Amino acid sequence: MNTKAKAKTGSQIKVITGNAAAAIGAKLARPDVVAAYPITPQTEIIEQISKFHANGEMDCELITVEGENSAMNAVMAASLAGGRVFTASSSWGLVFMYDAILATAGARAPVVMVNVNRETPGIIAVSCGQQDMISTRDAGWIFLIAETCQEVLDIVVQAYRLAEDYDIQVPVMVHYDGFYLSYLSEVVDVPLQEDVDKFLSVLKDQPERTKLVPGGRLGCGTHGILGGYLELRHKHMSAMERSKAKFEEIDKEFEAIFGRSHGGQIEKYRMDDADVVLVGSGSMCGTIKAVIDEKRDSGVKVGLLKIRMYRPFPSEVMVEVLKGKKAIGVVDRSLCFGFKGGPMYTELKAFETQLGGSKMISFIDGIANTDITQANVEQMIDTTCDLAAGKDVREVTWVSYPEANEPDSEKPDSEKRGGL
Amino acid sequence: MTEKKQGKLTKVLDYLKHEDPFSKGVAFCPGCGLELLLRFIPQVLGNDIVITGTPSCSAPVLLGQNNQSWHTLSYFGTLMTGAAANATGLARYYRKAGIKNTVVCFNGDGTAADIGFGNLSGAAERNEPFIYICYDNEGYMNTGIQKSGTTPYGASTTTTPLGSASKGKNLRRMNLALKMAMHKIPYAATATLSDMGDLAKKLLKAKEAKERGFAFLHVFAPCTTGWGYAPENTIEVCRRAVKTNYFPLWEAVNGKIRMTKTVKKPKPVSTYTKLIKKFAHLNEADLQILQDDIDYEYCMLGGLSALEGECQLPVSSED
Repeated sequence: MNTKAKAKTGSQIKVITGNAAAAIGAKLARPDVVAAYPITPQTEIIEQISKFHANGEMDCELITVEGENSAMNAVMAASLAGGRVFTASSSWGLVFMYDAILATAGARAPVVMVNVNRETPGIIAVSCGQQDMISTRDAGWIFLIAETCQEVLDIVVQAYRLAEDYDIQVPVMVHYDGFYLSYLSEVVDVPLQEDVDKFLSVLKDQPERTKLVPGGRLGCGTHGILGGYLELRHKHMSAMERSKAKFEEIDKEFEAIFGRSHGGQIEKYRMDDADVVLVGSGSMCGTIKAVIDEKRDSGVKVGLLKIRMYRPFPSEVMVEVLKGKKAIGVVDRSLCFGFKGGPMYTELKAFETQLGGSKMISFIDGIANTDITQANVEQMIDTTCDLAAGKDVREVTWVSYPEANEPDSEKPDSEKRGGL
Repeated sequence: MTEKKQGKLTKVLDYLKHEDPFSKGVAFCPGCGLELLLRFIPQVLGNDIVITGTPSCSAPVLLGQNNQSWHTLSYFGTLMTGAAANATGLARYYRKAGIKNTVVCFNGDGTAADIGFGNLSGAAERNEPFIYICYDNEGYMNTGIQKSGTTPYGASTTTTPLGSASKGKNLRRMNLALKMAMHKIPYAATATLSDMGDLAKKLLKAKEAKERGFAFLHVFAPCTTGWGYAPENTIEVCRRAVKTNYFPLWEAVNGKIRMTKTVKKPKPVSTYTKLIKKFAHLNEADLQILQDDIDYEYCMLGGLSALEGECQLPVSSED
């Protein structure tokens, strides 16, 4: 963020949690329909919204559904009927609504939801991790990731401009780290309602999107088959591509009204003269920035590329910024089963030839609430510097689980014991 | 046909105040009970309903293909898992936006009684303002005749096939309509295609009731292909289902249950099952198990309909 939290005339400075910031962001967007179902660490959002509703501060239809699957189904339908909608979930909740998440994207319903990142299926883990995001990344939604509580609020508001834009009409999921951001209180500049109204009013000047109305002789959810299916898929993919430039535009317009910018698809931190770069996302970036400042003081030319838009993958701007860097370390808070490196690392690898010889390594850290500490970040920077210097380093490092980095770590237990 | 019967027929047609929005020829099996029901609903309720449908026997006709459709209704093709939640979203947004609406959530028994029961129950608990119609053909007919929660005892399906160790479904059916009535909703009713006047009245009552909240209709809709009976016998199968109390007709207004048709001398269930191939293998002892189940359900219904009093309903759904 290039401006410190500084209140515009009339806006309020508050110390609130990431969840409260998300709830206030949703309230400021004035949704018509909100579906609410609890799950840790998201619950506080829907509690806050229920309180706003109970106090008459929020004039929406509040649907206290009996499960997450219904939450997504309800807001998808309300969105296709013409409404502005909101819901929030986490982890297993997100997975329980998975079929509806796919259907929402397929129907191009401009739903906005928050996903508070938590480890997800397989092992029950009430702890932070972006695995839930990875489990749903191929659904056809736009994914945005926030680093701070301020960014949570701002991205939720911005997400409506992106999802409901006439040329986009793709659902948007706003992600932020559970436990770290969800319950962490930070200083947040809460914008004025009239400013948010003004910011969102651009949508009213656009052509009206197609809506399912009674007697309207219109159907949605037809069988798409052969060419018809291909046409819809191609249009969807094209809209995803368009959303990259649109998000940059929205960020600039946001800055003009609210006086702060977070960057568009990516944020660059001390990148201009950097030789060595860490690529990260979410709450870890605050720690990374602090360590970069220290390293810079001792002459290490290191910078951070923060991924803010994860779907579509911001490959063009990333290649532009990373091209020619000596070494890149990608930090993933999730796993990519079937690949050794993390998901973001694996994806960035696809652009290796365009990066003009930059070397890349993968760091896996922050899984299941293992803190990404300053020491961990320092280790990542040092290892990436070693890579830049031509030293032999591991392609993948599990920073908080050194056992994974032992030479025989991939051997079966039976072999390590000396046979079955 | 006697004059009296012709008089009754005219009375049913009187309920058809609106056009049939469906194409003359559609992709249903000859003798399909569902087709009769599906054409009937908008002719009674109006063509301005918003109908939701899921993958099922209704899907090939209710849902279009690419940009083509078999009908002119406003419809929402969706998933079996969340149909009632979709209808909730539609009805709630229309209410918020002040748009007059009749949302009809139209589903088979697979959605209503099995995979989508959770959200059906949730919508009823929240007293959502729409009409839910379950057309019950007692199984997954569209995917090739598999057992569902409403498949009756003894029925042969492709997942309860006959074999040296199997006599068909070795479980009792669930009573979906009674389960829904237990949600204390403004309106719950059963209906079938041999009593179209009764069905029409119940549709209109459901439309009126949804102004106060959730309305549920359970319509017995036999399947000629999946059950194995002659296509011309669909109505006769319905008639015998009523006359044997296999499928009694009743309604619950504000939770107060009453029979809308009382069968004075119910026929044994064998007069019904003998028309249908899926029961053909059942011997007398098997049929007695089915008969006992029907008698038990009817006894329960009788007990409930003898109760005095209505439940006090909220003015509308939450909010």
